[in-house]
Amino acid sequence: MALTLTCPICGKRNGYEFRFGGEDKGPRPPEEGLTPGAWCDYVHMNNCTAGVQKEWWFHRDGCGSWFTTWRDTTRNLEAEPPEANK
Amino acid sequence: MADIRRQSPMRFNTGPCRTEVRDNWTVTLAYDDEGDGPWLTDLAHKIRWDLQDGNIDAVKPSGLTIPASPGRCTLAGGTLINRMNGTQASIYHLGAKAPALPDFAGYTDVSESMVFLALFGPGVFYIAEKLTNLDFMDPAGKAPFLLQGPFCHIPCQIVILEKTPDGSGGFLLTCSRGYGDSMVAAILKAGAEFNLRPAGENRFDTWISCLSGEI
Repeated sequence: MALTLTCPICGKRNGYEFRFGGEDKGPRPPEEGLTPGAWCDYVHMNNCTAGVQKEWWFHRDGCGSWFTTWRDTTRNLEAEPPEANK
Repeated sequence: MADIRRQSPMRFNTGPCRTEVRDNWTVTLAYDDEGDGPWLTDLAHKIRWDLQDGNIDAVKPSGLTIPASPGRCTLAGGTLINRMNGTQASIYHLGAKAPALPDFAGYTDVSESMVFLALFGPGVFYIAEKLTNLDFMDPAGKAPFLLQGPFCHIPCQIVILEKTPDGSGGFLLTCSRGYGDSMVAAILKAGAEFNLRPAGENRFDTWISCLSGEI
């Protein structure tokens, strides 16, 4: 089944309208005391959750919003509405 | 110094029967055989502004209030304001004359960088549904309202100005200028079975005047 996502501005839309922005890894780590290894982990290492994970998406063909939402990676279905709608 | 000449990004195969030059644009007022509708009108010469500001609710373009919710629109006095998101709105001047761009950094005149067309008349939404999976006839959408999404697979801003349950009404569409010819070709091809024809500005003005309650 094709992926659909709920944009906080435009509502439910075809997944092809969106660009995947990666896992949500939380806020950028503070620069003070940040080691190259820790920064590399933050930028490049992913959890690759088999199940529901929080992700960034960009409504490329629509309103141009960046937002976070939850997707079940095993079924490729939106699991919960976007964070902005809560 | 030679006058500049502004060129619409759209071209129709039909020749116009009446034109006038306005602000360096050659504006088609009417075509020979416009038929009974639906119609496609090139509005490239109409002035459009983009407005971006962190405190956008406090800005009053042409003295009008910007709608509070994204997707909502205001049409008054020939000016259409479309709320796009929390910090952005688009403003279309549909009347014969547009005001000067306000002296405020949030405004950008995007008229010459975008395609701007109107598709209106009987059965127009049956043409639209051949070209997009956006739901123009959504019962929850009360005209005028804004949709931002793909039309002919091209990211567009679409403002539904009028809709009736029989698929008639009309909408405005903008997209990047480079898609002009391809967009027109696709729309005319999809609309051929509905007798879609190019129409001049006069017919569009009549429709807008009816919507605004001016006639």
